[in-house]
Amino acid sequence: MKRSTLPYGLRRNRKAQIQMSETIAVLFIFFVLIFFGIIFYYKYQQVSFQEKQEELLGTRAIETTLKTLFLPELICSKGEAESEDNCVDMLKLRSLNETIKQYLDDYYFEIFSYARIYVQEVYPGNSTFILYDKQKPDATREEPTFFVVTLRDEIAGKGQELHKFGYLAVVVYS
Amino acid sequence: MKINKPNQRGQIQLTFSWIYIAIAGAVILLFFFSIVVKQKQVSEERLSVEVVRIMESILTGAGVSESTKNFIDASGLADYTLYFDCIDSVSEFGIQGRPARAQNAIDPLFAPKTMQGRQIIAWSLPYKLPFKVIDFLLITSSSNKYYLTGGDGVFVNEFLNATEGFNREYVTDLSEIDADSEFDVRIVDADGTHIPGKKVPGSLQDFDDMKVSAVVFTGSNQNTIDFYQKEGLEWKKLNKNPVRIISLGGERDAAKYAAIFAGDDKTYQCNMQKAFRRLEILSEVYGGSGIAELQVGGKLGELQEYYLSQGLSAHPDCLGNIQNYPDHLTESLAALKSRAAACQLEEEICLDLISTAGKIQDLNNNLRLNCIRLY
Repeated sequence: MKRSTLPYGLRRNRKAQIQMSETIAVLFIFFVLIFFGIIFYYKYQQVSFQEKQEELLGTRAIETTLKTLFLPELICSKGEAESEDNCVDMLKLRSLNETIKQYLDDYYFEIFSYARIYVQEVYPGNSTFILYDKQKPDATREEPTFFVVTLRDEIAGKGQELHKFGYLAVVVYS
Repeated sequence: MKINKPNQRGQIQLTFSWIYIAIAGAVILLFFFSIVVKQKQVSEERLSVEVVRIMESILTGAGVSESTKNFIDASGLADYTLYFDCIDSVSEFGIQGRPARAQNAIDPLFAPKTMQGRQIIAWSLPYKLPFKVIDFLLITSSSNKYYLTGGDGVFVNEFLNATEGFNREYVTDLSEIDADSEFDVRIVDADGTHIPGKKVPGSLQDFDDMKVSAVVFTGSNQNTIDFYQKEGLEWKKLNKNPVRIISLGGERDAAKYAAIFAGDDKTYQCNMQKAFRRLEILSEVYGGSGIAELQVGGKLGELQEYYLSQGLSAHPDCLGNIQNYPDHLTESLAALKSRAAACQLEEEICLDLISTAGKIQDLNNNLRLNCIRLY
């Protein structure tokens, strides 16, 4: 072993300087790691928040479609019997928009929130019936859902009820 | 003396180092402990929000599909107490003691005031007056016990068949009740002979007052309801005046079943008000926005226009039942709309809805043979 030729006091100073540099380096690495950790956590939170928002929007789209499909204002009925699923009564549909508009803010907004709901006839005609339209001013995304329905028109056929085909479109905004 | 000095300093330094380590350790431990406590609080709050949101989704699904029963596994929520309330036509539910809650001003939700159990039961029943107005959502749990007593065989059989899978039992006398393991007990006195003026049954006397309640059907056709709550050994009547069931009767009468599952008279009437609000709007869908002033529109307007265009080829009953006969749909729908609106302001008027709805039902049946029905 080769002994240091430096005096004892200088040797101690140098050792302290090295130790100090080591401490600073460790602290630097520590803060860098913390910084990366914070960035990683922030990014993760941002992504999971966006995913959650998308999931919530999807759920709302399905819920709104469900509510619309079973809406007593729209669904086909036959006296006291149970309502007919996935069937829209055209006689109610044609003037429903007027009623919904009248009660939009104080009633239907609670059911549908920000959404656009319309029934599109596909066969034999191609009429569009807008039921509900409440756009969100600062909407960033929208989720459309479509559902095939039959459109029962009791006055279109000659003494017979006529079943047309179409789809119910529900677009929700967030 | 000189020899001892460095030793003493070393001892002090050593002691100081240990005190320093202990304090620093305690501070670090405290810091992590506070983070754990905070995280626990946050995750519990998050869980309660998630639970309420999921419950809301489940109830939406259960509420819209007509006449369905959903048995929902809620074993994860078995330790939590769910509460249900309704004030000013806005119902609210959530987990007791947690800030998360959901409010709903549209869907009538009839449930016990508090609920706990491994299984939640959601049953939707269509409320018709006379056309379908809305689906009533009846909620209960596997720990809420229903004892049915009294009444004729018809209702007893109907109730027991309709509530298959529910925690319910028929007893001929209240002394047969044995409810030791139940969270909440509701007695359904179908003819008003077992509760009014009687003592609380012996097996229920040790129960908390809030956990034992009764609903009593009275009146000539069991069409009025009284709500009772246990108060010591006596029954305390909650409503001042009998609550009238606003319905056309028949099997699986939604308004009658709703009373059985409602927490008390106030929540029952609060939720019924939501149905009357929807009835007012629906009468406009059928009769048009000017129906109260006898200006026909909506579905009835379409039918009227159609039969007018048909001229003599249309059956006379069609326009007759719509506008010409002494009792006709235009007038009846106008009355239904006006009464549904007035009923939201004054409860007494709600009773008139029954006769008006009955009239519309008759007229609709008259249309059945030769014309297009209103609903």
